[in-house]
Amino acid sequence: MLGRLPYRVQIPLGLSLAVLIAAILVTGITARVSTQNARQEILSLLDRAVVLVIAQVRPMMVADDTWRVFALLRDTAELVPGAATGQARLAILDAEGRVFAASDPAKLETGRGLLGKPWRDQPTPTPSEIIDRQRLDQGDGSVVMVDPIRSEDGQTLGFVLTEVDAAVFAPDWPSLAKTALLAIALAVALLVPVGWWVGQRMTRPVGRLVAVIERIGREDPSKLRGAVPATKDPELSRIGDAVSQLMGELEQRKLAEDRALSAERLAAVGRMTAAVAHEINNPLAGLLTATQTLRLHGRSDDIRTRTLDLLDRGLQQIRTTVAALLPQARMDDRPLEPGDLEDIVTLVRVSASKLQVEIRFRVDVDSALRVPSAPLRQVMLNLLLNAMKAAGEHGVVSARLEADETQVTFCVTNSGPPLSAEKFRSTLAAESGRDPRGFGLWVCQELASHHGGRFELDTTQPGQTRLVFQVPNREAPEETT
Amino acid sequence: MRRRECIASVAAATLWAVRPATAARVDRLQVGLTPVILADQIAFLSRWGRYLGAQVGVEVHFVARESYQSILDLLWSGHVDAAWICGYPFVRFEADLNLLAVPLYQGDPLYQAYLIRSTGAPEGLRGWGDLKDRVLAYSDPLSNSGWLVAQAQLANVGIAPRELKRAFFAHGHRNVAEAVAARLAHAGSIDGYVWETMRLQGMPAVAKTEVIWKSEPFAFPPLVTARRATHPHMERLRAALLGMANDPVGRELLGSLNLSGFSAGASSQFDSIRRQAALVPGSGVTG
Repeated sequence: MLGRLPYRVQIPLGLSLAVLIAAILVTGITARVSTQNARQEILSLLDRAVVLVIAQVRPMMVADDTWRVFALLRDTAELVPGAATGQARLAILDAEGRVFAASDPAKLETGRGLLGKPWRDQPTPTPSEIIDRQRLDQGDGSVVMVDPIRSEDGQTLGFVLTEVDAAVFAPDWPSLAKTALLAIALAVALLVPVGWWVGQRMTRPVGRLVAVIERIGREDPSKLRGAVPATKDPELSRIGDAVSQLMGELEQRKLAEDRALSAERLAAVGRMTAAVAHEINNPLAGLLTATQTLRLHGRSDDIRTRTLDLLDRGLQQIRTTVAALLPQARMDDRPLEPGDLEDIVTLVRVSASKLQVEIRFRVDVDSALRVPSAPLRQVMLNLLLNAMKAAGEHGVVSARLEADETQVTFCVTNSGPPLSAEKFRSTLAAESGRDPRGFGLWVCQELASHHGGRFELDTTQPGQTRLVFQVPNREAPEETT
Repeated sequence: MRRRECIASVAAATLWAVRPATAARVDRLQVGLTPVILADQIAFLSRWGRYLGAQVGVEVHFVARESYQSILDLLWSGHVDAAWICGYPFVRFEADLNLLAVPLYQGDPLYQAYLIRSTGAPEGLRGWGDLKDRVLAYSDPLSNSGWLVAQAQLANVGIAPRELKRAFFAHGHRNVAEAVAARLAHAGSIDGYVWETMRLQGMPAVAKTEVIWKSEPFAFPPLVTARRATHPHMERLRAALLGMANDPVGRELLGSLNLSGFSAGASSQFDSIRRQAALVPGSGVTG
């Protein structure tokens, strides 16, 4: 039951109970000791009474004065515990062991022979056998003592018989109980509150520690650390230090988490910025070439018109890419057209010419295209640029756009060193967030996934690297956001 | 204190100490009391002494002893001028005594001796004849009711004193009642007037005793003087005693004594005691 109570109640309650138990034990032991002392005091008092009686009674016995002996015994018995209640008695026996006079003649009849006869079913010594005090301890705890009375010349004049019933030696339980109850009541009234107070004082730092621990996680650790109670107790001090240390570590961990989160945000922003820059940068070279073409050959209407169209479509792509960063913006996009591949090839041809890479492309569109142009142009641009890099100088890059009723497929093959499937996966994984330099393949995968298609390495034709981007031919351009 | 006065004081004290025992002071009367009355009531005796002193013209003091013989010794030696003794010592030492007054108890100069037992005593103790192997308490060897009557009655029923289990003197009638009440003795021989007075005063010892025998009326214990030395104011003391019943204070004092007055008395009133004593061996009284 005690275990169910809070620790802060258990300690004061335990102390109070300890005080109560100690009071009861001390009272019990005191009662036992006082009982033993009381028996010794009674026996000691009897000794003194007998000595007094012997000293007084000699001349009365010589004078054969029963009345004066009775008066002496009656007065002396007033000193003997229990005599007033009839539980103790004194008697003077004559030399033959008969009652000369007794303090309680009703129980010890005058003239009755006692010595040498059974007394309470026990044999008593004869007068001639009594040289010194004879003490007859009865089985029930009562005491009978017989002391000889001698004249100055050693003649036995008679005997003093002292009888004390067991009840006289019995503890005065009501009185002891009253004392015990008083002691316990005092202990309860004085010591138990003190014990309770001491217990409360002892457990107060524990309670404050618990309160501090309960606030951990909800409040600022730097504020909570000031609330940890200071105590001189070594154990509680260690607990307090441990709590302070814990809060310090939590504080450090929170700072580290904040820094990590901040760094991650910065990194994400960086990656996003790099990706956007990459996507914008890709068509820029082609657009700049187009403006150069416009400047040089703009007088021709045909060339000017085609160049302006090219510029328009490139800028639209950039606009679409930037708009993708604005979650709330809804961009209108046109469906892909077969000429878009030619546009893209035109845009990358400047870079291709620098590397002296030959670009071949083919369009096999048997059905209407229902895929958005911006992501597909982005995919085609990325894959062509990547393929040119992979093909290296004097390499060959082949691109093919196919479409039927269900699929739109764009394949790019380069003549560079073959790309293993493992290297392809690791490149995709590396580009997934940590390598801001080449986002091309990663962006292609993301777009394929976004449009419910696939982006993979075709491993069926060894000796070359062929990447396949395929999406379902079913999405209306207006659905793209 | 001056040296001369100091020497005078010491000399006076020395003269008082060495004066003859018989040289009683005539300016005061000393009256000895025996346990024929309840004599240990100091305040009463003081009041009675002042009353009698006012009547007599000299101081009256009472001297109490529990033994009749002690009072007689004081009387013979002149330390007391009068004594309230018992009828038995009066008849025994009549040659040396003068009768001063005889109290009147319930209007007559008579009283009875009682045989008492403790209440709730063993069955079979109904009289003198049942005292064989019992313990008997007497009052005093010179008491009529406390010894002489018992001796006569034991002889009458044919029990020799040695056939009693034990007999002892309790040194006073009151002690006899207490000895029987405490069952120190099975029975006690007691002055009926004392027992009745104790009963009147509600003494607990009497409540535990009961009377199983009453004697014939005897002359009440008298006040006597020594025949050879009579105090000059003795007649005035006698007159004061005899006149107590005539004034309120005297009657109130008599009431405390459970008496109705005092009479001059006559020696012949003690004849029945005299006859009884003559029958008891060792009584000191011969026919």
